Amino acid sequence: MLKKALYTLPITLAVASAFAAQAPEDVLDRLVTKSGNSAYLTQSPQNRMMMPDNPAFLVADDGEKLFKEKRGPKNASLEECDFGEGPGVLKGAYVELPRYFPDTGKVMDLESRLVHCMKTLQGFTNDDAPIKKRHGSDSDMMKLQTYIAIQSNGMPWNPPLSHPLERAMRDAGEVMFYRRAGKMDFACSTCHAATGLRIRASVLPNKDVPEEWTKAISWPAFRVGQDHVRSTQHRLLECLWQMRFPNIKPGSDASIALISFWTDAARGQPAILPDMKR
Amino acid sequence: MSKITPIAAAVAAASLFLVAGQGIAQQASTPAAKPAAGAADPAAVKRPEPLKKRAPEKATPQTEMLIMDSQGIRMAPANVSAHMLAEYLILESGGFDLAQPTQEGTTGRDRLVQDEIQKLCSLGKGEQPDSKAAAKVSELAMATIKYPEGGVKLGDWKKGRELAWSGFGFRTAHNPDDHGKQTPGANCYNCHQLATDRTGGTIGPALTSYGKLRGSSEEILKYTYGVIYNAHAYFPCTNMPRMGARQLLTPEQIADVMAYLIDPESPVNKSSMSGMSGM
Repeated sequence: MLKKALYTLPITLAVASAFAAQAPEDVLDRLVTKSGNSAYLTQSPQNRMMMPDNPAFLVADDGEKLFKEKRGPKNASLEECDFGEGPGVLKGAYVELPRYFPDTGKVMDLESRLVHCMKTLQGFTNDDAPIKKRHGSDSDMMKLQTYIAIQSNGMPWNPPLSHPLERAMRDAGEVMFYRRAGKMDFACSTCHAATGLRIRASVLPNKDVPEEWTKAISWPAFRVGQDHVRSTQHRLLECLWQMRFPNIKPGSDASIALISFWTDAARGQPAILPDMKR
Repeated sequence: MSKITPIAAAVAAASLFLVAGQGIAQQASTPAAKPAAGAADPAAVKRPEPLKKRAPEKATPQTEMLIMDSQGIRMAPANVSAHMLAEYLILESGGFDLAQPTQEGTTGRDRLVQDEIQKLCSLGKGEQPDSKAAAKVSELAMATIKYPEGGVKLGDWKKGRELAWSGFGFRTAHNPDDHGKQTPGANCYNCHQLATDRTGGTIGPALTSYGKLRGSSEEILKYTYGVIYNAHAYFPCTNMPRMGARQLLTPEQIADVMAYLIDPESPVNKSSMSGMSGM
């Protein structure tokens, strides 16, 4: 057995190096070139250098174990979970979310679909820690999301818009993106509708520059300043916090409408998964 | 901001949506305009009915916003615009914590319901307010500005400097700012370069050497107070928050921030202009 493993080592290495061409840092490098060295994409040389050692890979490894482990009151793994490409198919599933799922009648993002499977397949409830704890590298939710998402690294965002509800949610998300509200009259577009703008020292991504926007929406990402892997829903929450908006419910239709719109805005651009951000 | 296309509507109608026993129809004759507190208006909840197919021609009555069941939205009828659906999602669907208390003693709902200026200034990609809307916004904003009795005077630039740097205050969501522990700041550096010893943002114009360039005449003081109080008076649909009109800053704090901008001793007017742009 060991001998056989040794024989296949060169092949394994060859495959690994072929995959290295698709490493997240390489996806980003190509976007940097294509964008003419976008100030947003190039703002942190340190982060770009650290990407091969992204702590998110370890979080994803934990996620793989959790995904395949029989857990919960129903003692089942998540290997039968359908993220839109069929039960258990993870490759390319994330870049085609959010999407409409006939079994729930809802447009769902990665997090809400994962929660759905943890409930239906494994029997967890909202009060159980694996579902309740949404944030932090040590949470089941982030481990699982990171594992699932990185199966789509380098693949183009392609959320389906064939179902009327997918289009309705995307279009409502667009209205929400430009809708000014809150104590300071902010909309998403206050910060994300022009190129090269900064809040203090942070360069902001422009929703209308797809090469920038794909990095902006490439979550899970390891946030160096927070020392945690963070999700799409967490990014939304932090934006809303800075905008002086009230709390948003994770997996709510309001959150998914915005995510539908912003994923559509990156359509065709390769996802950087896992990413590393400030 | 396209509406749901007629094709989508046909698909929607053809998808044999069932008004299931647990289903409710969300009424939207006045979508999100004056939502009832607590949202659950018993009159809007239909009695459970036996399962039945919905005839396509009856699928989109005028008053019906969305067809719901316990799991959420099932269908957005074709006469529901993206705007109506967005308002519904924000104010009716339970997505936001509308009851969340705010530092000013209101609720999350008050933060999310738009006032007139917010509505007029919610512009889509590349849109500018037309001249009529811009004039309206400017007029509404000008009417909010209350000048201090005895005229506009400069405060303490050192206090203004700390206010300008601080981005604290009025954040709610998952981590509400406790104003009992720290005074809300003015957020200036988030968007503006001021004195160059600290890095400011670029969403707003650089204000380095503001007083040095403009002086401190009565007109400049009044104008500057007005811009901080409600910038829409001079720049309709500006990105700048209405610091006075929305009570983000007190008149005294505005005077301190103005001193930071205008006082000749302020670092703002002692900083080098080299490399600054966007004045």
